[in-house]
Amino acid sequence: MAMRQTPLTCSGHTRPVVDLAFSGITPYGYFLISACKDGKPMLRQGDTGDWIGTFLGHKGAVWGATLNKEATKAATAAADFTAKVWDAVSGDEVLTLAHKHIVKSVNFTQDSSCLLTGGNDKTIRIYDINKPEAEPQEITGHTSAIKKALWCNNDTQILSAADDKTVRLWDRTSTAVVKQLSFDMSVSSMEYIPDGEVLVITYGKTIAFYNALSLDLIKTVDAPASIHSASLHPDKDFFVAGGDDFKLYKYDYSTKEELESYKGHFGPVHCVRFSPDGELYASGSEDGTLRLWQTEVGKTYGLWKCVLPDFLSQLSCVLAGSPPVCHIAIG
Amino acid sequence: MRTPMSVLRLPRGPDPNSRGFDPNSPRFIALCSTTISSSTDTETDSVQIGEEQCARSMLRESFLRTLIAMTNKQVQFYMYERVKVNAVFGASDIDVLNFQVSDLQTPIGVQKEALLRCQDVILYSFDL
Repeated sequence: MAMRQTPLTCSGHTRPVVDLAFSGITPYGYFLISACKDGKPMLRQGDTGDWIGTFLGHKGAVWGATLNKEATKAATAAADFTAKVWDAVSGDEVLTLAHKHIVKSVNFTQDSSCLLTGGNDKTIRIYDINKPEAEPQEITGHTSAIKKALWCNNDTQILSAADDKTVRLWDRTSTAVVKQLSFDMSVSSMEYIPDGEVLVITYGKTIAFYNALSLDLIKTVDAPASIHSASLHPDKDFFVAGGDDFKLYKYDYSTKEELESYKGHFGPVHCVRFSPDGELYASGSEDGTLRLWQTEVGKTYGLWKCVLPDFLSQLSCVLAGSPPVCHIAIG
Repeated sequence: MRTPMSVLRLPRGPDPNSRGFDPNSPRFIALCSTTISSSTDTETDSVQIGEEQCARSMLRESFLRTLIAMTNKQVQFYMYERVKVNAVFGASDIDVLNFQVSDLQTPIGVQKEALLRCQDVILYSFDL
């Protein structure tokens, strides 16, 4: 029986949510960090959206946030010209890395030893977290503010997207450009999927998929409205996107068919990401909220509980061999 | 008309009184074994932890012994706002939040019994 999607709203932020990231799956579940213009990034339990803590310290809007795989460290990029590294268990600030302009993007290597930063000073920087006083390695070339910088190809290469309408692939050791993509307009978001080496790029109303190693185009899909962010499901069967019209769109990756669209946010959707297990996706909006959406609506997961109307539940319980329980259908 | 998916409860929001990161959560207890170091090591070196624990126990024991040694003695308390007061130390509460003192000498007179708020004390000294 088809169920209607009930998004879970995570409140707490007082300004637009501009970035969000999931950790990997840890023995304590997985986690979600949200970057907000109120300067107070928050850590949440990934499958329920329950607030765990707020990282206090930034003096300006936080534009980017990330967690390492184990969710033991967090990093944030802010308008106060700093990137900060945090202990994601205690919430304590561990490092402040001063920059010369607004920092927009932060990304850890797989072993959490290095942090990649990018921002309005058009320079990509690589910091050794164990030697923070050492000068970071710098990679220059972009002619406009960098929106996103990500490690790829086993942390040997770097992908960056900037307002100069290019996406560039850099070699970490030589700091030279390996390949470059040029667009007619600024890229609004970028997601890198290591498993399968897929790069998801959004610009205008388009969601584009590239091979992350060769930067060869795989396919493009056009949405009904301007898209700010998109995310590909770990199994690569769906992708979701959100943007200017406040809606979340779900597409079939193979057929490019639009499967569903969901209303819920009261403002443009700035970021959307699938959870590491693919069971849900989170969206952040101009309305200051994060919303969690089920990938498979009707499945019992996290805070969502499948409650069947009386007859069907008794039937399913009998078939499963357990005593029937009275359920109340909400409709 | 599709039935909306039901939900057990809403996600818990932030606590207005704290920044969170509950020290009693299983994750915190398991992963935050050392609270002093801002070490970036995600691996725990059991030898280092052992040494740190020894040092901590030693310091804690010394501190508790000073409290015992101070009992019924004249102690000078140096506090914020350039406050220096003398008093006879009685006892401390379990969390070292307050000191119970007698004959507290203040600029406006002697207070027979008083509680000093520990967070206001910068240092205190007494003769053994």
